[in-house]
Amino acid sequence: MKIVDRFTLWFLGVTMLIIPINSIITYQSIKGEIDRAAVERLKHVNIRAAEQLGRGEAVGEFMQGCRIKAAPSDSTMPADFFLISDRNVKHDPNMEDYDRKITVASWHMINGTSYKIISGDYVTRSEQILTGLRTSILWKLAILIGLIVLTARLASRLVLAPFYNTLKKLQHFNLRSRTKLDFKPTRTKEFNELNKFVGKMTDKAVDDYISLKEFSENASHELQTPLAIIRSKLELMSEYNIEGEQAILISDMQNAVDRLTKINKSLVLLARLENNEFECRELLDFSRYARETVNTFCDLVTIKGLTMDYRIEEKVEVKLHTALVDILLNNLIGNAIRHNYAGGHISVELTSRRLVIANTGLEPQGPPEEMFQRFRKGAKCQSSVGIGLSIVKQICDMNNFTIEYRFKTGHHIISIDFPATFTSSKLLQNDARSLHEKTQL
Amino acid sequence: MKVLLIEDNVELASSISAFLAREGYICEVSYNIRDAQDKLISFPYDCVLLDIMLPDGNGLEILRFMRQERMQSSILILSAKNSLDDKIIGLEEGADDYLTKPFHMPELNARLRAIYRRKTLGGSNIIAFNEITLNIDTFEAWVNGMLLDMTRKEFDLLMYFMVNKNRVLSRQSIAAHLWGDYTDNLNNFDFVYQHVKNIRKKISSANGTDYIGTVYGLGYKFNTSRQ
Repeated sequence: MKIVDRFTLWFLGVTMLIIPINSIITYQSIKGEIDRAAVERLKHVNIRAAEQLGRGEAVGEFMQGCRIKAAPSDSTMPADFFLISDRNVKHDPNMEDYDRKITVASWHMINGTSYKIISGDYVTRSEQILTGLRTSILWKLAILIGLIVLTARLASRLVLAPFYNTLKKLQHFNLRSRTKLDFKPTRTKEFNELNKFVGKMTDKAVDDYISLKEFSENASHELQTPLAIIRSKLELMSEYNIEGEQAILISDMQNAVDRLTKINKSLVLLARLENNEFECRELLDFSRYARETVNTFCDLVTIKGLTMDYRIEEKVEVKLHTALVDILLNNLIGNAIRHNYAGGHISVELTSRRLVIANTGLEPQGPPEEMFQRFRKGAKCQSSVGIGLSIVKQICDMNNFTIEYRFKTGHHIISIDFPATFTSSKLLQNDARSLHEKTQL
Repeated sequence: MKVLLIEDNVELASSISAFLAREGYICEVSYNIRDAQDKLISFPYDCVLLDIMLPDGNGLEILRFMRQERMQSSILILSAKNSLDDKIIGLEEGADDYLTKPFHMPELNARLRAIYRRKTLGGSNIIAFNEITLNIDTFEAWVNGMLLDMTRKEFDLLMYFMVNKNRVLSRQSIAAHLWGDYTDNLNNFDFVYQHVKNIRKKISSANGTDYIGTVYGLGYKFNTSRQ
């Protein structure tokens, strides 16, 4: 529900509540005022009639348009006592409505005789007031609702403009463009505060992002050069006449350097994946790469005494960066070879919707969901770094692939589901980002 | 073959130039862009080894400079920045190849030879030593005129040996050459051993000399002095 609709509903609710209360109050006060005026007038008439009687003049049937009756009375009442009563009467049987009649009786001592004077008059009945009020209320309501509905959207567009502006800027905000958000000041206090807060937050994110990126770039650069030096020196060293034990020492060092290099490269790759640096908008022929990878690994499969069968559908097109497709396939098929036993089997199946790689192997020791964590590896494989599958997972996550691992009847099965439609909505808002990437390349 | 190495790290530069000197290259070193430009203007080089991160600027400037000056030297980028962008830009700006640090020296040698073959030797596709002949276009290997039945990886490995004759090739270097950077899970030297064994067997079966020997603890070597 839009914010303007919420406000409108709230306002209408309050109006609905107030209008009946208000009309009751109005009704009561109008009725009271009419009655009071009539009573005042009748009292006055009574007093005038008493004065007339006092002067010895007779009192007629009507006085000042009010019916009046004066007669000697047995009882006496104080002079300022008025008996007020009202009732509904019907004079003309042809008329449907009753009339409301107010009568005022008072007692006067005139020349030693007690007189009771009664005067009466017709006033507007409460139902009639109510009918009049109802029409006016309905009109009022209709106009109010109409105007609110008509103007609310306009008003919200004007008042909430800075808010929508902020929202839009946030939607298009992209860390990688490294541009800070710039908000126009508004007259609304809350929006100014919001903008200030959002601005602060995004500035911080941009700063953090830049320093993180710089750190990972620097770390990789700073590590690679010393590694290159060590490796080159070791290689030069091994060209000399190296005796047995020294050769083993050099070899151990070479192994360690190699491992370090691989860890470093993999971590940098993971960081770059997380930074979304391999965003891709073009389809690539996944079948071709799958076939190539399978061919590449044929030798190894034979050497390890495994059998491999594959079923690769033609023209499977997937949105994936070319730099990643090899890494993905190499890691998966490499794993299938590595975590296998002699005489085992590997099957690779590629359809337009998914890639399934299954291989025989020993049952995994940990829970399957931990499989994709970094530096997690089967106890039997000391020589691997244990980062391959988390790279695969990261590649899948970045490209909206669903990856799933399960162990079933002696087979490790990894399946990757490709998204059904490649025009994913997520990419829509990343237009600016990919544009940026293109200009960078 | 005359090579200009542009690399700011003195240690690494000395390693590379020592290795290249042993391979018979004439290698000169520049530690910054200005010096490199001076050298490039003054002398002709067959190949330039170019580091991207240099103290006085980006190595890509040299690429542009060389293109402006219409220099014909081949260019091999050596970068510590394992960055795809750099690679693409480098290759687009006219570099012939791209190698990420830390690399193996024999790999650098193999790449250099490949570039040299492509550019200078008019794209010669034959590598030969005594009775062994390789056709790098068709991936065919002959020994004593007999065609060997080799897989693609075995061919690559034999070529790697023949380009790096009399060099100790570590198993790591061979694995990286055959399976690339990210094959962490294939760092299995059994595979290297099996491939080497197969090559030796195939060459011997064609009555070729078994040039490839094991260097204890360190790896393998294509030994030209073997009879």
